Amino acid sequence: MDRKCLLAIGAGALIRLVLFTAFPSLPTILAQRVEISTPVTSYKRLQEGIYLYTHGVSPYDGGVFHQAPLLLSLFSILPPSTIITNLLYILADIFSAVSLIQIASSGVPTVTPHHVSPRKANSWPPWAIAAAFLFNPFTIATCIARPTIVFTNTIILHSIAAAVNGRRGPAFVSMAMATYLSLYPALLLPPLLFLAYDSLKTTSKPSIQAFSAVTTIMLSIVLMVYFKLSHLITGSWEFVASTYGVHLLLPDLTPNVGLWWYFFIEMFDSFRAFFLCLFQLHLLIYVPPVCLRLRKQPLFALITLIGISSIFKSYPAIGDTGLYLSLLMLYNHMFSLMRYTFFLAAAILYATFLGPAFYYLWVYAGSGNANFFYAITLVWSISNALIVADAIYAALRDEHETERPELIGKDVVQI
Amino acid sequence: MALRVPVNLRKNLSVVLYAFQGLSFLAVIVGLASLLLLPLDEYSRRTYISENALLPGQVHAYFGGSEQNIVRAFRREVDLLGNSTSDVVAERMAEIFRSAGLKVGKQRYSYKAAGGEYTGENVYAVLHAPRGDATEAIVLCAPWRNIDHLLNEGGVALTLALSRYFKRWSLWSKDIIFLISSDARAGPQAWVDAYHDLHGKNIQSLSVKSGAIQGVVVVDYPGAYHRFESLHIIYDGINGQLPNLDLINTAVQISRDQMGLRTDLQEMWNHDDGYRHRLRTMLRGMVNQALGHSTGPHSSFIPYHIDAITLATHGDGGWHDEGSLGRTVESVFRSLNNLLEHFHQSFFFYLLMAPKRFVSIGTYLPAAMLLAVGLTLTAIRLWVDPRSRSGEEKKEEEKSEKVKEGGVVAVDGGPKRELFLPMSIVIGVHFCGVIPFAVFNSVDYKSMSSVFYIFIAASVILPTLISILITLTASPHRLLPAFHLSRCFSLLFLGMFLSTLATLNFSLSFLIGLFSLPLTFARTTPDSVPLALVNSILLQLTSPFAALFVVAGYWGLGVEDILKEASFGWWVWGMWTPVVVWCVWWPAWVVGRVSVDSSIVMAVMGKRGS
Repeated sequence: MDRKCLLAIGAGALIRLVLFTAFPSLPTILAQRVEISTPVTSYKRLQEGIYLYTHGVSPYDGGVFHQAPLLLSLFSILPPSTIITNLLYILADIFSAVSLIQIASSGVPTVTPHHVSPRKANSWPPWAIAAAFLFNPFTIATCIARPTIVFTNTIILHSIAAAVNGRRGPAFVSMAMATYLSLYPALLLPPLLFLAYDSLKTTSKPSIQAFSAVTTIMLSIVLMVYFKLSHLITGSWEFVASTYGVHLLLPDLTPNVGLWWYFFIEMFDSFRAFFLCLFQLHLLIYVPPVCLRLRKQPLFALITLIGISSIFKSYPAIGDTGLYLSLLMLYNHMFSLMRYTFFLAAAILYATFLGPAFYYLWVYAGSGNANFFYAITLVWSISNALIVADAIYAALRDEHETERPELIGKDVVQI
Repeated sequence: MALRVPVNLRKNLSVVLYAFQGLSFLAVIVGLASLLLLPLDEYSRRTYISENALLPGQVHAYFGGSEQNIVRAFRREVDLLGNSTSDVVAERMAEIFRSAGLKVGKQRYSYKAAGGEYTGENVYAVLHAPRGDATEAIVLCAPWRNIDHLLNEGGVALTLALSRYFKRWSLWSKDIIFLISSDARAGPQAWVDAYHDLHGKNIQSLSVKSGAIQGVVVVDYPGAYHRFESLHIIYDGINGQLPNLDLINTAVQISRDQMGLRTDLQEMWNHDDGYRHRLRTMLRGMVNQALGHSTGPHSSFIPYHIDAITLATHGDGGWHDEGSLGRTVESVFRSLNNLLEHFHQSFFFYLLMAPKRFVSIGTYLPAAMLLAVGLTLTAIRLWVDPRSRSGEEKKEEEKSEKVKEGGVVAVDGGPKRELFLPMSIVIGVHFCGVIPFAVFNSVDYKSMSSVFYIFIAASVILPTLISILITLTASPHRLLPAFHLSRCFSLLFLGMFLSTLATLNFSLSFLIGLFSLPLTFARTTPDSVPLALVNSILLQLTSPFAALFVVAGYWGLGVEDILKEASFGWWVWGMWTPVVVWCVWWPAWVVGRVSVDSSIVMAVMGKRGS
């Protein structure tokens, strides 16, 4: 880490500290925004859970608290002071930035054992990527609103950083933790396997089958340990139903930026089970093709899956999109191959402003209705999906041009 | 089999550029024209009662006869108290309400804004519904002094008389609250804030409360002379929010069809229902909506999602008296009493052009959206334009691609866009918008005008200074693209803000869009200084200050009065117009001036760019 990295991290921490201290009501206001806090990450619900937990009532009674038990024990150990909580969240973001710097410095985004990008000279320096994460308005808003997704993001980034540096132990322990906290990171396991395997530094590599078997077993054991710990903490297994069950069965239909809530509000009850299965399978179905097609760039496959799950998972928030966009900055060198950057950036901006306006018209002014907000979440999701698709196009084109340099600059024609 | 696009648009950019230029021009023209079409019969609709439960004018109104003598007696009472302090008034009003057998509450309030202090005491009485469960209420309000600071003798007297009269009826299913606010601007705001427990620390809490307020009718009947010609219905709320159209329709239908009272809107006293009068009514309504200020005591209720109107009497030559006004209010209250649920059926977004003619959001929104779209299209055109890329090798782009084919350097052939400098210009200027906003909201009324003129001078010089600074520091071949892209981002932001604003406050968005039109064509022209001068003057004429002078002229007030009103609006009503003007419009204007001024600066300094 050089001076510029430290400067970026310092500035990022400072801006969060200033926002926390200069506007004491800001965290509460942002924590109530449905775009930032979801039922499975909300800080308000976490406080409720902690209150119940410290008063000897099961926090999972009453259907308000849907977060993992280890978070409970973490927050009940902390002294109940706002400043310390705020510092914890700032620290989490700093760790995320450090992990991003490690990922960027490893050079994996441009050079993998199977692929060397012809554009590697154009990639951004690590400090710029850290700055792009720390000054991303979505990340800042998420940090200030203090949903627990901040920790999931930090742990995912830590896991990736460990994997690209060949430390597979920490990588899979962290990924187990991320899965334990919010379930959907389980989708990231296959690309993480490829990533860790490609980054192994030993001269005699085990076969990929053996490697994945060993690491998967290790990850499952770690996950079991987390579950047993949670069982010890809460004294029962009911946390499984009210954390992972909520992710999977969507009992809470609070609006968010995703596509599920409106669909399941409108749904007739007889179709609910079918469409739940369909929506969950839909998320799962992207994993094999993305991993296989982008086998040469496993980190990009992983980022793409993060992007896809940030659009299609059951309780997405802008924190997920913030994570995806920050990770995408690692592939800045191939942005010149993307075709719609300006339009998509404009669409994201439009959705960012129109979303709160339409939510206001629906909930506060009473002059709009749910369709207003849902229309904007559709625009938001479409533009995110187009970013993912456009980035995949750029990555594939980048690979293609390495294989066939004579096609550089030629147009792609639809056949 | 390959499907080839006949013209490769990436290689033939000029086609795209002209198309976008044409489209954005067309969008603006169509947007403006569609607004002018609205008053025609083909585009506007007749109003209709959407909520069947209201049954306006279906009941006989009994107020009159001996009640009129009571009104006149109260009028005398009010007249005697005319110049007393607000606590004496409140005490006497409370006494009268108590003697009618109502629960009475009083509330002191005090606001500070623009160096002045606004204090007073509201007094109100609650009539518990004989058939209700105190979960819903309707409000009859009369300000002691109306919005023009005239003693509201008739309105207060009528409210007092109606409180006695309503008490005798057993048919009310909603509580009725009679509110005598101390003035027409701060008092109702203090009362409604306190009713919802959202008041500041200088405002007393309410001792007596009732249920959720379903509707509010304000009576404004000033003057000693008790005859009037017509009823003026005022409906604009804070921040351009409007009450449900059903409430206005109810009032119009009752006063016209049941009472034979003429109704007027937006101070159009001799409406002939022709095109010109409709257009003027609509435009006056849009100006009120755009300013977002309070037009009467009812305005403060509307942000709380409470539908409210003011019934003001107009003229003194007519043959209507307190009897007809009392019967109108009675009949409106009987309709409100019929409501089964909150007003929701009819429109919340509409433009009225005659008492019985309106256009709804679906018809008029495209006008403002098209203006915003025009700005966005211009932004896209600027982005696609090759002038947004910096670098020396612009002309030989295609050649160099062939030469360096296969090489590592030439993979993305052609120069890149430098985003950092234009981004920081645009974001920096937007943050600067906080300064005028903060200054004008904290300055005293006395120093308001001098501060304003200093600020005008500063913001005339500021863009020139910025462009000199950038011209001096940046390298020549990056200069033109930097100004080009900063304009692009600024227009993109403005287009985005305006289309968001159009859904919240259509008129403000439309008017700012109209004033921002020169921003779409005023560009950096280092080769033609006269054109740059013309553009600069044009921008100066459509600046936020020019708009402020126009508004001041429209109301016949000084600029400092408008600024005082804005500051008062921000502190008391929570009015957002100053935020929009200083943090959205002003920065966009500054960036526009920067890119125009830079052409003069570059010409003078001899830096022509690439």
